[in-house]
Amino acid sequence: MKHACHQISRLASESLDRKLSPWERLRYHVHLAMCGNCKNCDNNLKLIRNASELIQKTRYGDITLSDDQREKMHQILKESTGC
Amino acid sequence: MNSESDPHQWLNEHGDYLYRYAMSRLHNEDLASDMLQETLLAGWKGFDRFAGQSTIRTWLVGILKHKIIDHIRKEIRSRTLNEAVENDPTSAYFNDNGSWSEAPSAWKDNPEDLCQSDQFHSVLETCISKLPEKQQIVFRMRDITGEDTETVCKSCDITSTHLHVLLHRARLALRKCLEWNWFGQGTQS
Repeated sequence: MKHACHQISRLASESLDRKLSPWERLRYHVHLAMCGNCKNCDNNLKLIRNASELIQKTRYGDITLSDDQREKMHQILKESTGC
Repeated sequence: MNSESDPHQWLNEHGDYLYRYAMSRLHNEDLASDMLQETLLAGWKGFDRFAGQSTIRTWLVGILKHKIIDHIRKEIRSRTLNEAVENDPTSAYFNDNGSWSEAPSAWKDNPEDLCQSDQFHSVLETCISKLPEKQQIVFRMRDITGEDTETVCKSCDITSTHLHVLLHRARLALRKCLEWNWFGQGTQS
């Protein structure tokens, strides 16, 4: 099954973006069950995705407009809408 | 003007939420603030198109989302970021028979710990910045911001097949870079 690792890495990536077809899923899972290298790669890609998502949440989770930004925006809205 | 169509009230009630949405996608305070401003004005001008089927916030997010997609499209066009689909760089990680040339290792860290580590953020950023620009853009949109694939394709003017190719390349390159520079299993050549 070793010859398939390159193709399986593509399925590992695509499985993060779309639902694999039944045939692709079968091929993917049968290969992972037998290939430790691809299993590791699959877990690595998932870890990168999960860590990236968490970092994003932490970074922007509680960001707010500053008082200056808000004030300036009210001013521009007033000038542009006349109200 | 009733309170529902008052852009000042939108700013007070939804400003922070919309600003967060824009910042998480644009990573630039001035740009995010401009986009929010434009969204509020566009909402005010087009309020008669608000059908009331969604909440004001959802409607405003829809306007903001379109503005951000337009902005990213223009950015990408202005820099004509082309990357040949031929010459697959992921081949470098595999032998001619398709097996791994260097075995990927099992990473022990968990996402919660990684997320707390400033050092990991910095290594991840360095690894992302080494990717070709178009791969950086799609990776950031898809895996960091969590945009759906349709939005990424629309913003970058690419087909879903092309998106899969770019993400595969980006993720395998990042995997390799992190293995070398963070998980410490490989040796940098």
